Amino acid sequence: MPIISSISLLFGGFVAGVFGALLGLGGGVLLIPFLVMVLGVPMHQAIATSIIAVIATSSAGATMNLERRTVHIRLGMLLEIATVTGAILGGITANYLSASVLAKLFSILLFLVALVMIWRVRQHTGQELIYTGGVLPGSFYDDANRKIVQYTVKNVPAALLVSLIAGNVSGLLGVGGGIFKVPAMHILSGIPMKAATATSNFMIGVTAAASAFIYFAHGHLNPFIATIAALGVLAGSMMGVRMNRRIHGHVLTWIFSLTLLGISIQLYLR
Amino acid sequence: MPDSISISNDGRHDAERWTGRVLRIGVWVSASFMVTGLLIGAMYPSTIVAFCSNPTLGNLMMRMISGSFDPVTLMFAGLVFLMFTPILRVITAIVGFGMERDWRFVFVSSVVLLLLVSEIVYSIFIKG
Repeated sequence: MPIISSISLLFGGFVAGVFGALLGLGGGVLLIPFLVMVLGVPMHQAIATSIIAVIATSSAGATMNLERRTVHIRLGMLLEIATVTGAILGGITANYLSASVLAKLFSILLFLVALVMIWRVRQHTGQELIYTGGVLPGSFYDDANRKIVQYTVKNVPAALLVSLIAGNVSGLLGVGGGIFKVPAMHILSGIPMKAATATSNFMIGVTAAASAFIYFAHGHLNPFIATIAALGVLAGSMMGVRMNRRIHGHVLTWIFSLTLLGISIQLYLR
Repeated sequence: MPDSISISNDGRHDAERWTGRVLRIGVWVSASFMVTGLLIGAMYPSTIVAFCSNPTLGNLMMRMISGSFDPVTLMFAGLVFLMFTPILRVITAIVGFGMERDWRFVFVSSVVLLLLVSEIVYSIFIKG
């Protein structure tokens, strides 16, 4: 691989990792368009690379969240039955679809992600929706409010259904799927936002692993591209987590959402 | 931070503690393989041998056992180790839940593990 492309890839992975961490995404949403549109990487290879990057960022982020005890590991394991099933089916399906079909599906996904992000900014009121009459009790220490938040989980079947769809999208298009899972866990199951985000981040690594071996077996994992991108995304996500507290989230989300809309249209028309 | 932070879901946290350790070790080991492979490849480009572009898990392991630590093998080894890290995470959770005698979640986690193992078996099968 030429040195210029390697540096571009490392830098692209780093930027995807920074924005992924700042906006609560896995990084794949930005990494795949960069690989395909800027570096000309084939779509299946780009998806396989993104899956590796998702595993890396999930593993690194989950370590920190487990130490903070914000991950609801029991809920995560339960929902993983659905996400892993969806991801395996998605991974198998993707290898029977052409690159152009996957690119079109990915552009539609980007469009939906942008709309969900805009909706989340407009809906944000700062109020937590906490439910205490359900199952699987959990608790964590909230640094911002300096108190222990106790909650339970409601509507588990609905969360399982959304997880199945999110897992399928992850296996098919190489993204974490947290953009759909986190709002669903928060709104449908009454899980506090911090716990929902941390639990989703913990889950996406296992979900990604569920399709990673399928892409590997089909020969879509390029060691140079995947290694350099994974290291770039890993470094970027660590930087993004540190920057997170100093940046105004709403303005960033608006800019990012509009950028995603632009990329999705360009990718669809390619 | 107060001591009360140590409470977690249901007041039990063996699974969380062990899972966190496994993740940290997994990320560092896989990143070490990948960085070593990249550095050797960058410093000594002649060591980049054209191993096959589409190796199986079996021939990757055989190359590692036979001491063929060329850059491509090291990078693949790092990537495959990273792919196994979430699976180790599930195994550790099963052990952690077992230590807490939470048999319901030992079962739930075992189902997840079974699905992941099925995927690996399927991958080996389609590879031939």
